[in-house]
Amino acid sequence: MKSDPIKSLDPRVGRLPQTDNPTKPPLDQFSTFEVFVQPAPGKPFRHEGPVHAPGLEMAYVLAKEAFTRRFTCSSLFVADTHDVHVFAPDEQSPPMHDMADKAATFTTFEIFQLPRRGKQAVQTGAIEATSPQEALALAHRQCTTTPMPYAFWAMDRRAIRFTSPEEQDFWQTLPDKKFRDAAAYKGGEKLQRFLDTPR
Amino acid sequence: MTALQELLYKIADDQLIIGHRNSEWTGFGPLLEEDIAFSSMAQDKVGQSYALYQMLNSLGEPPPDTVAFMREASLFRNCQLVELPNGEYDFSLIRHFLFDTAEALRFEMLTQSSHIPLAELSKKIRGELRYHTLHANTWIRQLGSATEESITRLQHSLEYALPYALGIFEPSPYEDELIDARIFAGEQALYLRWQEVVEEVLRPTQLSLPAWGSLTPRLGGRQGRHTEHLAHLLEEMSEVFRIDPAAEW
Repeated sequence: MKSDPIKSLDPRVGRLPQTDNPTKPPLDQFSTFEVFVQPAPGKPFRHEGPVHAPGLEMAYVLAKEAFTRRFTCSSLFVADTHDVHVFAPDEQSPPMHDMADKAATFTTFEIFQLPRRGKQAVQTGAIEATSPQEALALAHRQCTTTPMPYAFWAMDRRAIRFTSPEEQDFWQTLPDKKFRDAAAYKGGEKLQRFLDTPR
Repeated sequence: MTALQELLYKIADDQLIIGHRNSEWTGFGPLLEEDIAFSSMAQDKVGQSYALYQMLNSLGEPPPDTVAFMREASLFRNCQLVELPNGEYDFSLIRHFLFDTAEALRFEMLTQSSHIPLAELSKKIRGELRYHTLHANTWIRQLGSATEESITRLQHSLEYALPYALGIFEPSPYEDELIDARIFAGEQALYLRWQEVVEEVLRPTQLSLPAWGSLTPRLGGRQGRHTEHLAHLLEEMSEVFRIDPAAEW
């Protein structure tokens, strides 16, 4: 290895394994999954953002710490970004679906509304439909909110990794973890006391 | 030292040392989300050790910071598995899986402990441990069936770590006393449950376990006999604290 002009003062850096293998071809990027968090029991789920992961279960595991390690949380779910169907009424014509298909089976879709661009999508309920397009069309038609939300989201429940009842205790000790909140350190007060001490 | 104190020290020391080791990945994790998750869990483990050191303090032992930062390596009761250097991520994941499986089962058994504060703590941290094992199992199942490289790396680390993992269950001189007093059902009972869970998690993967009987456990940690790595770890961990042990943080 060539001599490195910068030597880190972090002892962990010197211990890192040598992994430079220029012949190894890069692997594909992970795809993304959308993360939805319920801040307290009975409250609607809110869209918090995406995680990268190699699969739905891994996405759930990684989302838990990426999005619920600080603030109160009672439940969490994730869905592949491709399974989140979106309809923005101002920009798209109503979604097409074949109502005539009597044989089609109904499944449950979780419905979210995005009030405006740049806001968080919030869960508004569930709709029985035969396709995501039908669920979105129904959500749009049933919506009485003014102004009309910027977008509707629909997700087939079967594509969602929910938090199971026995996993609800994941967040039980979260309120105790004050050390994750800068306010708990009262750094300013300590500094002031130090500065006020006559020397 | 009483049977209860010895039990609490070995569990607390395991949690502190693995927590510190795993925290060494902070900022170096293989992907952002995993860096955050692994660091959070390391923080949980140090927090669990703190709760146990507080319990020891209430039994007459020195305060948590003193026992964590001022003891020599030979006074630590952790198993050798937790003090080994991180190496590459495959080893850290395998250690996480083998250790956390045992840890979650141990605390599950301790929810029945006759020492009420220990039983209550065990119930309180159940959710944390449930997440830690979900995280470990999901990664092991993912990478244990992914590419030739991931499978070979995990298999290699598994074979290296297993003898040390058996050191988790090194019997205490107080086994009978702990069992009779219903404080803890004992290392042998824990070991048997651990074997079952490890086999069950690995079954759907392409990783293979050697015959249990062919392994020689790495013992000694519970009696204060450690690898050379623990002293270095303690030196680094307590470097700032020892500059001024009376400082208020």
